[in-house]
Amino acid sequence: MSEMLLAVPVLLPVAGGASILILHFRTEGKKDDRWLAVITESLVLLNSLVIFWLLRYRMETNLVLFRLFGNLTVRFKLDPMGGVFAGLIAFLWPLAALYSFEYMRHEERKRMFFAYYIMTYGVTAGIALAGNLVTMYLCYEMLTLVTFPLVLFPMTREAKEASRRYLYYSIGGAAFAFIGLVFVLSFSVTGNTDFVAGGVLDLAAAESWRNVLLFVYVLAFFGFGVKAALFPLHGWLPRATVAPTPVTALLHAVAVVKSGAFAILRFTYFSYGAAFLRGSWAQWVVMAAVLITIVFGSTMAVREIHWKRRLAYSTVSNLSYILFGAAMMSPLGLTAALSHLVVHAFMKICSFFCAGAVMHQTGKTQVYELDGVGREMPVTFGCLTVASLSLMGIPLLGGFISKWNLVQAAFACGGASAGAKGRLAYAGVAVILYSALMTGIYMLTVLVRAYFPKISGERIAEGYRDPGWMMLVPLLIFAAVILGLGLHFAPLMELLGEIGGEAA
Amino acid sequence: MIPGICGQGLSFQADGFRLIYLAIAVLMWGVSGVFSREYMAHYEKKGRYYLFFWATFLATAGVFLSADFYTTFIFFEIMSFTSYVWVAFDEKKESLRAAQTYLAVAVIGGMAMLMGLFLLYDLCHSLAFDQVAETAGEILSGAPVSCALGLPGRQLYVAGGLLLFGFGAKAGCFPLHIWLPKAHPVAPAPASALLSGILTKAGVFGVIVVSCRMFAADSSWGLGIVLLGLVTMFLGAFLALFSINLKRILACSSVSQIGFIMTGIGMSVLLRAAGEDGGLAVRGALLHMVNHSLFKLVLFLCAAAVFMNLHQLDLNDIQGFGRKKPFLMFCFLMGALGIGGMPLWSGYVSKTLLHESIVEYTNAVSAGGMASGIIRGVDSWGFWKGAEWIFLVSGGMTVAYMLKLFVALFVERHSVRQAEFDAMSAEYMKTSSKLALAAAAVLLPLLGMTAHKSMDLLADMGQAFFGQAGHRHTIAYFSLENLKGAGISIGIGVLLYLVAVRRPGTSGRRYTDRWLPWLDLENLLYRPLLQVVLPGIGGAVCCFLDRYLVSSVVAVFLSVSAVVCRAMDQMADFVIRTARRSTHSQIPWVADSVRCGRATDGSFSAFGKGISERKRKMSEKAACMKRQLQRNGRLVEESFSFGLMLFAIGLCLTLGYLLLVFVRQ
Repeated sequence: MSEMLLAVPVLLPVAGGASILILHFRTEGKKDDRWLAVITESLVLLNSLVIFWLLRYRMETNLVLFRLFGNLTVRFKLDPMGGVFAGLIAFLWPLAALYSFEYMRHEERKRMFFAYYIMTYGVTAGIALAGNLVTMYLCYEMLTLVTFPLVLFPMTREAKEASRRYLYYSIGGAAFAFIGLVFVLSFSVTGNTDFVAGGVLDLAAAESWRNVLLFVYVLAFFGFGVKAALFPLHGWLPRATVAPTPVTALLHAVAVVKSGAFAILRFTYFSYGAAFLRGSWAQWVVMAAVLITIVFGSTMAVREIHWKRRLAYSTVSNLSYILFGAAMMSPLGLTAALSHLVVHAFMKICSFFCAGAVMHQTGKTQVYELDGVGREMPVTFGCLTVASLSLMGIPLLGGFISKWNLVQAAFACGGASAGAKGRLAYAGVAVILYSALMTGIYMLTVLVRAYFPKISGERIAEGYRDPGWMMLVPLLIFAAVILGLGLHFAPLMELLGEIGGEAA
Repeated sequence: MIPGICGQGLSFQADGFRLIYLAIAVLMWGVSGVFSREYMAHYEKKGRYYLFFWATFLATAGVFLSADFYTTFIFFEIMSFTSYVWVAFDEKKESLRAAQTYLAVAVIGGMAMLMGLFLLYDLCHSLAFDQVAETAGEILSGAPVSCALGLPGRQLYVAGGLLLFGFGAKAGCFPLHIWLPKAHPVAPAPASALLSGILTKAGVFGVIVVSCRMFAADSSWGLGIVLLGLVTMFLGAFLALFSINLKRILACSSVSQIGFIMTGIGMSVLLRAAGEDGGLAVRGALLHMVNHSLFKLVLFLCAAAVFMNLHQLDLNDIQGFGRKKPFLMFCFLMGALGIGGMPLWSGYVSKTLLHESIVEYTNAVSAGGMASGIIRGVDSWGFWKGAEWIFLVSGGMTVAYMLKLFVALFVERHSVRQAEFDAMSAEYMKTSSKLALAAAAVLLPLLGMTAHKSMDLLADMGQAFFGQAGHRHTIAYFSLENLKGAGISIGIGVLLYLVAVRRPGTSGRRYTDRWLPWLDLENLLYRPLLQVVLPGIGGAVCCFLDRYLVSSVVAVFLSVSAVVCRAMDQMADFVIRTARRSTHSQIPWVADSVRCGRATDGSFSAFGKGISERKRKMSEKAACMKRQLQRNGRLVEESFSFGLMLFAIGLCLTLGYLLLVFVRQ
């Protein structure tokens, strides 16, 4: 019976969100809002507690929820890698919910917003806890469907266009991913698609179909890569910033895009198996795509003057850091990818929330409007400073550690397979440094502008203030976590190292 | 060693050199801290200043105590970012621009350094200084080590070069000195004292580790460092000579003095590579580092005293401020004489040592047989003689610009405000500031006069860090030979002052900036490169990719698929239409007669127009006939007789069949 608990983090939010959507508990105006907030927060918090409890006491639980047919089962499993992702979202969601109560205070249609917001939690948890590729694929598709209304939420022309694009890209990508699923199923040594560290491919059978399988891998990589905003398929992400900031921050900087990256990691290390792919042409194709994305994202971020879109481009490049780790197909690569996955989540959500706080308090959305705001919103910009420096990879902060890990892994990867192809991993190091420089430019220009206004004097006296506690508390916690991770990464690193060691 | 912090763990070490520099850091922060209390009294943002003031102190101490590159790098970066706030403190336009430059240099330098560290780590699997030195030694002696670039030797040079770039940027080494002359004039003066006195030394610290540990006896590396040092030395002094802003002159002077130190470091590597004892050069570089920290502390604090009262730094505006202020004059004089290399002041000792080391190497080269493996033309007696003269001339220029400052501040009179300046004499500095400044100033002659005791002691303590073996390598500082070197320098200095600054013929009252304003490496090269060229090209490419590549691919895909789909759609239509016309026609049979009639009509009309109306209506007639026929048919079908008829036909057939069978039998 206790296995059933594993389905709770997935089903509870979905059911809860749906019931909010369906049930009309009619009270009036403000009271209604308060009820909504209380219900949402308690649901999310409860769910997070369940996840934490599971992480603490029920590691390696396994649950087959039901059978689709044959050996296609919906199956949940809590392993360390899924645990890292589940723990991450369980930590972020309640805080993000808290933030959004204040952010959304003046919006209409809150009920719909929070309903889908909660449902997304469940679906994302489903991806984290999925025990086989079929389950993950199902949740992956579901994720598109439940987040789609959130992008559509502002109901402007722009939002409609963005959400349509989001839908096309995601569904299209999932179709490619589905091809991968089919091939994994038919070449699986176990006859099903369960995630096994090191992959499930029947190597003997796969050898004769090697090139086909590699081609399918590349297809699936790009398919899942749509959510992870891989270069030619990144188009939806910067446009999706029209959504309310909590959505952009949590979903388009963490949950959705990280689901894409997580799915690729799962697919690479737990379905295909790194050993099968290492050194093949497919590895270099995806690695080249990833490196191009890094350069592209960070360069576009410098060009962009809309603050949130700039951050979105930054997300594009940073996600490819994670995918770079995936493309290395080595234990160190997986470790580094996961460490960047965790750290980047905090950095980016913190940056987005700061941007949101500024938008909420001042209505400013463009970078050039930010002159002198830093002085008036000291707490917000203090947190932004921490996040920016961390994104750049300044020591003492989390971003430095994860980039360090990535580069170490790249060196190990390049060293392991010498030759012309091996150079690509070294090129990756140069690309990461280039990107760090660009990050410096696009994050610091914001900070410098905010702290040291170009036009001093009259603009100062506008009297903006830091937002209320509901927005500040998450910001402060995120900044503290970034600092804490930078100072003491060792325990997490140990865990990630174990995952990496197991998987490849 | 603190494991587990910051990923890799930090490690610290305390030895002679580190302790000396820690002591100097404490001294400098103490003195400028005391001074800041007065200097910052009228600023609003004191809290911010002090926060970053002490944060930088901690970071700097971390750099100097670090025992591996990882720790060095971490504290180095923190130091860069906290000191950024000093430069931007003013928030004026120039300060922001200078701060931008400073930040850009720091960030790019940091990136280069990080890349160097990655390469080094790949090579040595450790970043601890000792381990790196050991592996580097093995590589340079030709041991095979697996590495990223394939050639361990080349990778080591690349890594070293990148580290040198990073550390050199902070030290103010040419061609990355650009931030110093910009940043110093705009930072608060106590902070400039620290920037120049000790933050640059953090860069030098790294250069020392790279040069004296990693490339301990590599002649080509040594030569590179010496060349950089000579260029920096000369260029800095040259810039200083032609500047007219008090703090800018001091900043350029810093660049120049760093050049001296670099030369010393490079010479020590070269000497060791030549099999000589590098002791002279090591001690010279070490002592000059210490000295320069103290000089710049004193000089910048004097400048602070001027700025505090006048809020101006242009020599034409502050001319004559120092008159009737004996205390200020004393302190400034101590610093000036020290940095000018006057015998009995500490600068003399370190410069003499550096000079001696060049002479020693020159002699060794001229003694012949130096198979150093570098380009022969460079490693010749003539070249090193030239280097010696650059050294002496740079020393001379140092004297010249210090003389210029001294004369301007303490001898000449201001044409308008002299009375006002004199009136400030009573209370231009607080006692506490005076005490702090005096303490620092007195140190210089004290060290210089007891050179054989105090300075040798310092050198003995510190030289182990440079990889120099323990034995003492004393020279007679005040021998005639050495005094001659100083004499030449000072002579050149006075001459240069008279010729270049105080041109005979001009009245000499006004100082003009003779430097061509457009000849600025930063504005000429770096900023266009970074701000226009790189983002221009990269951005254009990416923008092009973003805007056109994806959309054109989509457009092509859509149009191709549209054509294909339409073709297929048409095909299906065609099949259906044909089917409806032929086999699946929904028009009942009747219509055939109509069609038949119509065809007849058509042929009639085609053949002749004269045919009457009645005949033309064949189609109608045909239709009527058909209908008639049908009705009849239905009637027949329904009737009983029809049944009988069928029965009869059946019977006939059966009979016929039987008949057939019968006949056959």
